[in-house]
Amino acid sequence: MHEVWTISECHQGRVKDVSYELLARGRSLADTLKVRLGTVVIGSNINTDDVKQLAYQGADILYLADDPSLSSFVCGRYAALLLKLISEKKPQIIIAAATTSGRTLMPYVAVKAHAGLTADCTELAIEEGTENLLQTRPAIGGNIMATIKTPGHRPQMATVRPRSTKPLAAQHDRPFVVEEVPVAPRSEKSSVEVLGLRGLEGQSGSIEEADIVIAGGKGLKKRDNFVLIERLAKAFGAEVGASRDAVDRGWVSYPHQVGLSGKTISPRLYLAAGISGAIQHLAGIKTAKCIVAINNDEQANILGLADFAIIGDLFQVLPEIEKRLEQRRKA
Amino acid sequence: MNTSYTAITPSILEELKAIVGEHNLFTDTERIENYSHDETSKEQFSHMPEVVLTPISTEQISEVMKVADRYTIPVTPRGAGSGLSGGAIPIHGGIVLSVEKMNKVLEIDEANLTVTAEAGIVTNELNEQLKRTGLFFAGYPMSLETCFLGGNIAENAGGGKAVKYGVTGRYVLGMEVVTPQGEVVQLGGKVTKDVSGYDLKQLYIGSEGTLGIITKATIRLLGVPKYASNLLVPFRTAQDAISVVPLIMKQGIIPTSIEFMDKSSLEMSCSYLNESLPLEGVGAMLLIEIDGTDEQQVEHDLIQVGDLCSGHKAMEVYIAEDATTRERIWSIRRNIAEAIKVYSPIQSLEDVVVPIGSIPLVLPCLEQLSGKYNMRIPCYGHAGDGNLHATLVKNPESSMEEWLEMEPRLLSEFYAFIVGELGGKISGEHGIGLKRRSFFKDVTPRPEYQLLCAVKQALDPKNIMNPGKILL
Amino acid sequence: MHSIVLIKQVPQTSDVQMDKETGTMIRSGSTSILNPLDVYALETALQIKDRNGGRVTVITMGPASAVKVLKEAIAMGCDDVYHLNDRAFAGSDTWATSYVLAKAIEKIGIPDLVITGERATDGDTAQVGPAVASWLDLPVLTYVASIENLTSDSLIVERLIEEGYQRVQSPLPALLTVVKEIAEPRLPTLRGKKRAMATNIVTWSASDLDADQAFMGLRGSPTRVVKIATPKVSRQCRMVKVEDDDSLIEAVDQLFTFLEERDLLGGLNA
Repeated sequence: MHEVWTISECHQGRVKDVSYELLARGRSLADTLKVRLGTVVIGSNINTDDVKQLAYQGADILYLADDPSLSSFVCGRYAALLLKLISEKKPQIIIAAATTSGRTLMPYVAVKAHAGLTADCTELAIEEGTENLLQTRPAIGGNIMATIKTPGHRPQMATVRPRSTKPLAAQHDRPFVVEEVPVAPRSEKSSVEVLGLRGLEGQSGSIEEADIVIAGGKGLKKRDNFVLIERLAKAFGAEVGASRDAVDRGWVSYPHQVGLSGKTISPRLYLAAGISGAIQHLAGIKTAKCIVAINNDEQANILGLADFAIIGDLFQVLPEIEKRLEQRRKA
Repeated sequence: MNTSYTAITPSILEELKAIVGEHNLFTDTERIENYSHDETSKEQFSHMPEVVLTPISTEQISEVMKVADRYTIPVTPRGAGSGLSGGAIPIHGGIVLSVEKMNKVLEIDEANLTVTAEAGIVTNELNEQLKRTGLFFAGYPMSLETCFLGGNIAENAGGGKAVKYGVTGRYVLGMEVVTPQGEVVQLGGKVTKDVSGYDLKQLYIGSEGTLGIITKATIRLLGVPKYASNLLVPFRTAQDAISVVPLIMKQGIIPTSIEFMDKSSLEMSCSYLNESLPLEGVGAMLLIEIDGTDEQQVEHDLIQVGDLCSGHKAMEVYIAEDATTRERIWSIRRNIAEAIKVYSPIQSLEDVVVPIGSIPLVLPCLEQLSGKYNMRIPCYGHAGDGNLHATLVKNPESSMEEWLEMEPRLLSEFYAFIVGELGGKISGEHGIGLKRRSFFKDVTPRPEYQLLCAVKQALDPKNIMNPGKILL
Repeated sequence: MHSIVLIKQVPQTSDVQMDKETGTMIRSGSTSILNPLDVYALETALQIKDRNGGRVTVITMGPASAVKVLKEAIAMGCDDVYHLNDRAFAGSDTWATSYVLAKAIEKIGIPDLVITGERATDGDTAQVGPAVASWLDLPVLTYVASIENLTSDSLIVERLIEEGYQRVQSPLPALLTVVKEIAEPRLPTLRGKKRAMATNIVTWSASDLDADQAFMGLRGSPTRVVKIATPKVSRQCRMVKVEDDDSLIEAVDQLFTFLEERDLLGGLNA
C-alpha cells in the first residue's frame, strides 16, 4: 500500500515545530487510508531525540537523510534526494509545510514528478470512494475556500499552513522504523552554496511561527511611537507585526509585514493596534485563532474580524496593558 | 454685536436633557474636551463648551435652538471637527451641537440624480453608499474620510478635484436648516434652477454655522467617470511648475486636479512616507489628474498635457495609470499636512486663493517672508484653482512667545499682498472661522463688511449662532 | 546581462469590497492590474540593467487584456515583451502555467537571470517561480531580499527566510523570486509610455512554442478545483469603549479576563 508522507524540516539539526503539526495531518489521512505514515527528515547532524519524537508523535517510518551537504535548504539538492525516494517508494500523498523551504521545494519536485500540488492548505481530507486527497485552501485573500483534488496523478502533493493544526500527543510506545536514505555526493552542476545566516533585527523568531503577534499600524502616527508595540510585544513574549503602512513608512522592517504583500499568519493571539484593517491586511490574519483590536474608530474594518476590541486611544491603552503585564510578572 | 450670554444652569441642563435625552447630552470634562478644538492648533485656539449635545433629529435641534434663543445661550454647530479655521470651537462656551448621530442617507433618487442625506454623514461613506448606482457626489475635500456632509456645505469645501468639478456648493440643490430661533426651513429642492426670491440656500453655503444649522441636504449627483490617470511632473523651480498651470488650463482640457507641491512639502512628505522618489534638483512638482468615461480620450489628454509640461521645463514626466501607482503618488500629496505636523505640531495652515494667472507671484512673496521671519513655509495645494496651502511652521528652536508674536505679523504682510496686490482672498476653502476673523476685517472694504454684519444681524439678532466666527 | 521577468495580471484588491453580513468579497468592476509584487521583479531587473548593461525581457501569459501590464513594463524601461495568449492555455494550474512559461523562455533563449515576484496576490501560491526553474533545470533562489556580487557567471543573494536572512551563492543562469524589500520601484514615465504605444507586442500562441499541448490548459493541469465555498465569518466582537481613566482600567480588565478565558496568558502568569 502506498504510504502517506510528510516532510520534516530541520534547522541547525533540530526538527522544526511545524513538522510535528504535519504529522497530525498525515496521521489522520494515513489512518483513513489504512496505510503507513512516513516522514522524510532532511538535515545535517539531526538530533536523535527529535527523530524519536517524530515517531512518538505519529510517524510509522522515518526516512532519514542526514548529511553535511543538507545542513541548509538548497532546493536542487533537497529535490534530487526527494525525487529519488519518490520514484523508489511511490508514496500516494506528500505534505510539506508552507514555509519558505516547503513552498520552494514542493513546486520544484511536483514538476519533475508530474504531480499536482496545492499551496497553503488549511484542510485535508480523503474523498470517500475515490480515496483522492481533498485539499482545501483559502483563495482571493481568504475570502473563498477552494477545494482541489488531483484525480489522475500520483503522488498528490500539498503544502500546509504552519500553525493550522495542533501536533498529536506523544505516545512513547509507538513502534517505528528508521530507514537511512543514502545521500548522493554533491554534483558540480548544482553548486549553490549557503554562506551564512543573519538574524532578523529585533526578532527572536519569525512572525509566521509565533504564538502571539503584537502588530501596529498607521495609528501610531510616527516611527518613534512604534516602540509602544515593541515594548508590548516584549511584555507578551510575542513577535512584532505591522501593517503595510507602518512598513512602507520605514517604522519597522519588511519581515514584520502582515497581509497580502507580507506574511499570512495564524498565531493564537493577534493584537492589532492602530490598524484599520485594509482588506489586504485582513487576508493575512483570517486564520488567527483570536484577534484583539485596539482602535479609536468604531467603524474600523478590523472590528469585523476581531474577537475583542477596545475602542479608545492606543496611546493610553497600550501602556496600560503593558503596565498590567508587568504587574502580573512581579506578582 | 451681543456677546453677553447666560451661563447654563442645572435647570437649563434639565430642559435640554428633556429634549435630547440623557444619552445625547454630556458635560464631563474628559468627553467634552474632544469638542473644544478642531484641526487648528489646540494651544492657540481651543475653548471648552459647557455642554455637548448630540441630537438625533431636526425636531430636537429645533427645540434646542428655541431654548438657546429664550435664554440667550451661544450654540456652536459641529460636524466632524476636521475644520482648519476654528469654526467649530465654542469660544463663548455654551452649547456645542454635534450632528454626528444624524448620519443617514434618506433617499437616493436615481431618476433625478440626487441623494438626500442627513448632515452628519461622512463624505466618503455617502459615496460608498452610492457606489452601486454608478453615481457619485463630486465634492472631494482632502479630509473626505472623516469630514461630514453638513460641514462640507457650511464651509463650502473645495479640495483636490475642484478644477473640474467645482466646490461643494455647486452640488447642493436643497437643504433643511434650523434657524437661530428654532424655525425649520426648507431651501431649494430637487430643481436645478430657482430664482424664486433671494437665494437663501446660497447664503447658507459657506456660512460657517453662523446663520443656522444645516440638518439635511439634497445633493446633485454625477455619473462616476470610469477612467482616471495621473501625471507627476517635477520641475527645477516652483516658478517653473506654477507657470505651466495657466498653460494647461488654456488647452481646452480640464484636468480633474492640478496639485502643486513645493520642495519642502515634498521632502517632508517623502521622508514621512519613506518614499524614495528622486528629489535631487527638484524645486516643485505638479500632480495632475485627468478623468473621463473614454479610456482613449483620457490617455490622449494625458499625453497632451504631459507633452506640454515636457516642452515647458519639466525635468521628467512620470505617469501613473494603474491604481497602485496612482495611490502611491496621491499618498505623497495627501500626507503633506500630516508630515508637517510630525515635523512641528505648531503651525498655521494657510489657504489663500488668487486668480490663477497670479499664482507665480505668490511664491516669491513666501520666499521673502520665510527669509525675513526665519520660518519654514512649505507650500502646496490646488494650483489649478489658484488655492495654495502655505503652511507657517514654528521653528522647533524658537519659543512659543516668538511664534505668537511673529505669526500674526507675517500673516498681515502676506494677506496684504495677496488681497491688495493680487486681488486674491485670504481663504479659498477653509473659511474665516475664528482664526482669520481679525485679518478678514482688516482686508475687507468697510461697506462690504457692514453688509455682512447686516445679514448676520437680520438672521441672528441675539448673536447666539456660532458667535465670534467670521465677523468680529 | 539578460534578464527575463515573468509577470501576471491580477484583479485589483482595492476594488474588492467586503460584504459586511457574510464577510465575503464582492468584486465590483474587477479591474485588472499588474500583480503588485511583480513590480519589484521588474525593478530588480531594471536596476541590474542600469548597473551591468544588457536587456530586460518580460513575459506574461493571459488574455488579450494582459497586454496592458506588458505596456506598463515597457513604460518602466523594459526592452522586449512577449504575450502568451491562446485558448489552449486557459485553465492552466501552476504546473501547466510553468510549463508554458518555461517553453517560452527556451524559445527566447535561456537568459542569465529569470526573475519573478514572490507570488501573485490572487492565486497566492508562490509556486510558478520554482516550477519554471524545475522545467529549465535552473538553480532557484526564492524570497530574495538583496543581490550582491553579481558577475557574469555567479551571484550572491540574501534570502528572507523564517530564521533571518540567508546568504546564498549561486551560479548563473538562475531563477530568482524577489520580495518587496529588494527595491523601491521606479515610476513609469511619459517617454516610456510613448515607447510602449509604439512597440509592437509579440504574441505567441501554443503553436508558436515547441511544446506538447497535452501539458497545457485545463487538460494539462494535474489539479482540479472541485468546490468553491464562501466561509462565513463567525467571529463575534466584544467591544469596550474607553472614554476616561475609569473606563480605561475597566476595558483593560475586561481584556485580561477575555485573554485568561482563552488561556492566552499561559506563560505570563505569576
